[in-house]
Amino acid sequence: MIATIGFYVFAVILLASATMVVTARNPVHSVLFLILAFFNAAALFLIAGAEFLAMILIIVYVGAVAVLFLFVVMMLDVNFAELREGVQRYAPVGLVVGLILLFELGLVLTGWHFAPSAAEIRMSPTPTALSNTAALGNVLYTRYIFLFQLAGLILLVAMIGAIVLTHRERGTARRQRIGRQNARQPEETLAMLNVALGAGIDEIGILRPLPDPAPVGAESHALPHAAEPH
Amino acid sequence: MNWQIALPEIVLALSGMAILLFGVLYRRDASVPCNMLTLGAFLVAAFLVLSTPDGSGYGDLFVVDAFSRFVKILILAGAALALMLSFDYNRHEGIARFEFPVLILFAVVGMMTMVSAANLMTLYLGLELQLISLYVVTAFNRTAIRSSEAALKYFVLGALASGLLLYGISLVYGFAGSTSFAALASALNAPGGASPGLVVGIVFVIAGLVFEVSAVPFHMWTPDVYEGAPTPVTVFIGTAPKVAGMALLLRTLSTPFGHLSLDWRLLIELVSLGSMILGALAAIGQTNFKRLMAYSAIGHMGYTLIGLAAGTEAGLRGALIYLVVYVFMNVGIFAGIIAMRRHGRVFEQISDLAGLARTDPALALAFAVFLFSMAGIPPLAGFFGKLYVFLAAVQAGMWTLAIIGVLTSVVGAYYYIRIVKVMFMDAPAPAIDQRPAMVSFVAAATGLFTVFFVLFSAPIVAAAQAAAQVLFG
Amino acid sequence: MADFFLHTIVGLIILTFLKALALIVPLLILVAYLTYAERKVLAAVQLRKGPNVVGWFGLLQPFADALKMIFKETIIPAGANRVLFVLAPMITFGLAILAWAVIPVNDGWGIADINVGILYLFAISSLGVYGIIIAGWASNSKYAFLGALRSAAQMVSYEVSMGFVMVSVLLCVGSLNLNDIVLAQRNIWFFIPLFPMFIVFFVSTLAETNRSPFDLPEGESEIVAGFFVEYSAMAFALFYLGEYANMILMSALTTILFLGGWLGPFGWTWLPGPIWFILKILFCLFVFLWVRATFPRYRYDQLMRLGWKVFLPASLGWLVLTAGVLLATGWVPHVSS
Repeated sequence: MIATIGFYVFAVILLASATMVVTARNPVHSVLFLILAFFNAAALFLIAGAEFLAMILIIVYVGAVAVLFLFVVMMLDVNFAELREGVQRYAPVGLVVGLILLFELGLVLTGWHFAPSAAEIRMSPTPTALSNTAALGNVLYTRYIFLFQLAGLILLVAMIGAIVLTHRERGTARRQRIGRQNARQPEETLAMLNVALGAGIDEIGILRPLPDPAPVGAESHALPHAAEPH
Repeated sequence: MNWQIALPEIVLALSGMAILLFGVLYRRDASVPCNMLTLGAFLVAAFLVLSTPDGSGYGDLFVVDAFSRFVKILILAGAALALMLSFDYNRHEGIARFEFPVLILFAVVGMMTMVSAANLMTLYLGLELQLISLYVVTAFNRTAIRSSEAALKYFVLGALASGLLLYGISLVYGFAGSTSFAALASALNAPGGASPGLVVGIVFVIAGLVFEVSAVPFHMWTPDVYEGAPTPVTVFIGTAPKVAGMALLLRTLSTPFGHLSLDWRLLIELVSLGSMILGALAAIGQTNFKRLMAYSAIGHMGYTLIGLAAGTEAGLRGALIYLVVYVFMNVGIFAGIIAMRRHGRVFEQISDLAGLARTDPALALAFAVFLFSMAGIPPLAGFFGKLYVFLAAVQAGMWTLAIIGVLTSVVGAYYYIRIVKVMFMDAPAPAIDQRPAMVSFVAAATGLFTVFFVLFSAPIVAAAQAAAQVLFG
Repeated sequence: MADFFLHTIVGLIILTFLKALALIVPLLILVAYLTYAERKVLAAVQLRKGPNVVGWFGLLQPFADALKMIFKETIIPAGANRVLFVLAPMITFGLAILAWAVIPVNDGWGIADINVGILYLFAISSLGVYGIIIAGWASNSKYAFLGALRSAAQMVSYEVSMGFVMVSVLLCVGSLNLNDIVLAQRNIWFFIPLFPMFIVFFVSTLAETNRSPFDLPEGESEIVAGFFVEYSAMAFALFYLGEYANMILMSALTTILFLGGWLGPFGWTWLPGPIWFILKILFCLFVFLWVRATFPRYRYDQLMRLGWKVFLPASLGWLVLTAGVLLATGWVPHVSS
């Protein structure tokens, strides 16, 4: 009973927030509604007994993907109102096409029936003896290892692509060289000197040289400095 | 588990990663060694393809047979030739980076997987691997707006096509209960196996695959991508993916959906007719050589699809032979286009070729051979390609297709031969630059193949016959 | 009576509520005294006295601070997005409390004993970034936004290696249930065989909770106070509480994954499990404070470098190594249920 109530509550919120994703005026609100939709979808997974999928949905989509969406939406000053003008102009056409498709699908669905052997040849029937995490692991990493690796290759290519198309060597970056920093010895950078009392420090020449040795006025600039220490 | 069945793909993927690592770690310009290593990897993969025995593995996800072997060799050949053409071009355009051969290599891995797919999931993942690599190489000249624009168009339309394909796959899975080709075939063979929903699913799958081979009505991306992409990428897109996509179409429609051929044959017939007519008519007004080749490719895909529409073993054999011929002619013509460079600048207009026969007779001769072959003039290779598919269509009683095919070939001959006329009759334009040796080599090799195809066609026809038999066996 | 609580829906709800209360009240007190402890520890490290005026040894200081916060006015900046501005601190604090639902304090003593407890914790901790991003964006202020950006990048980066560390622990356990994870450490606590992963995990928790030396989102000397620069009064207090509750949560997680949860060292049982659990959490918290007193703040590029170029390959490599050793020695745990 609770599960049924839960299902309707979550399903209604899911649909409502999905609608808000499309209709919200502020793009940031759209993304936040998208996140809400993800949460409700995860809850529906939980009700269906797929707790692993529910958690993964939150970790991957809410924890990583939506953060990037939010990032992009916040950084780009996209004027969505302007984009939406086009929607209104093309809405009638889209509506007509949609209705035709719906009509056709309706026609198809009247002839709805599964192939007689569909139930028998189902590839991964719900396991009874395993928790769904273990069952998913078996299917994903053992049975379909080939496809899993192939998907990995796709991601690798996407990574190469992203780097190739965007990475630029500007040559202006000042890199940290950890090795050199660690290899630095005190003797190279520190000098212990005895400073005569009241002599000031620029006389011994351990002050950093001025950035631009200006020919005129350098003297006058240095003088008050030298007079300062007591 | 019979994992060695995918040995060529595994070796190729691993060597791709090794080359990538080498390229990243190598201090100096890594593009030349990486190109060579990739060519070597292709060679090794070709040997492995030939030595892998028939069979299926990975829980019925992957299959190796005469058909897959035939197509894979063709894909590797096309990719290797395209890569060879890229060396000098990329250096000239300042895009010689080591990622280029690596991406080409991964695209080839994707195509080889597609060809060996025995399951809709394998099919989709292989396709996606190939497409994503292609999007990236299309945008490879990232400072050129044309290149980025082409990649964007390709990407958006490609994503749409992938969506259609996935939607179709999900419908098929929902109604038939499996994505495995063998299980689908038996489920659909049973009485009452095919419901209208399933047929809708198949239509979506066909739509997704037809995008791959850029046939009408999913051809819109072709001219822009052909024109905008760096020319070696155009060569590549014009050869290997077309072969792989066509092979996929052949296998998918004749193995799992073979029993429903009444449902899909009319569709393929229409696609084929549309492609032939559009390819012939739209190419007439083109002045840009690469754009013209795009429309020509659409037309050629139409001819190849006649073989599938015929739905017989002879038809499939014809389609495979057509693909072989098409790959070599296409690479040859593009080798010529890559050589079109004056004072270091690339030109692509047909009128720029005026009087080429006087300034560079060898290149003009090669162009003439390829163009005549494309037009289907005997005894060049293109003639035999067309002959086999038209014969198959006639044998299957598809007179409309055969007649329209012959008519569009005649129209096509007009614009191919017009280029020959520009090269041989018009007043000469300034001479073009010295050709790079690699380009001359590729042009000569494919030219010889095109001219002397008639002499050594027997083993190719026999191999195509064996490959076609697999799908009907 | 027992029947009512265990077998009727209303009873179960009341029971769960009581359990939650029994966990949250001590937790909030711990949070309050953690702020006190932090000031005392920092003072001790710097040879100062720390708070010593309000109450005996300054023990009432947290309550004085809390009262001050409550009676101040909450200011909402003019250009701020009001709803989100108010929502953000609630998210941060709420998440920090929510995560405790699955933490087992003793064998079987958790509010919810779910199959995928560790994933639940990971999910909740990966949501923590929203409180900060939303706060930064809704404040309509440069500094706040910069802080939010820093924090989002930082948390997303360190989560990756944290995930790998968790996976390597899971490999040794064969279950995602937190109770099982602790019980699997009866023979040896995981920080010994997985020592490098323990270090990676602990440092990542520092980054995940935005504690120094990874407190760039606040970076008070560079971007004044980062994402909560515009917050005041209770809203600010909620962020503050959330940060400390998160520290406690992360310490609890470290304890469960690596320090044997409620199990006593050397199999000792002369203290009850929850006491051992709390002692270990306190130890971890002390290390948190100790680190803060010792290390200067990382620069942004150093932070990213550490996360992506050191921790990620290290944890990935160790993960592969763990899997290899388990396979080679046949110690792969049997997957139950």
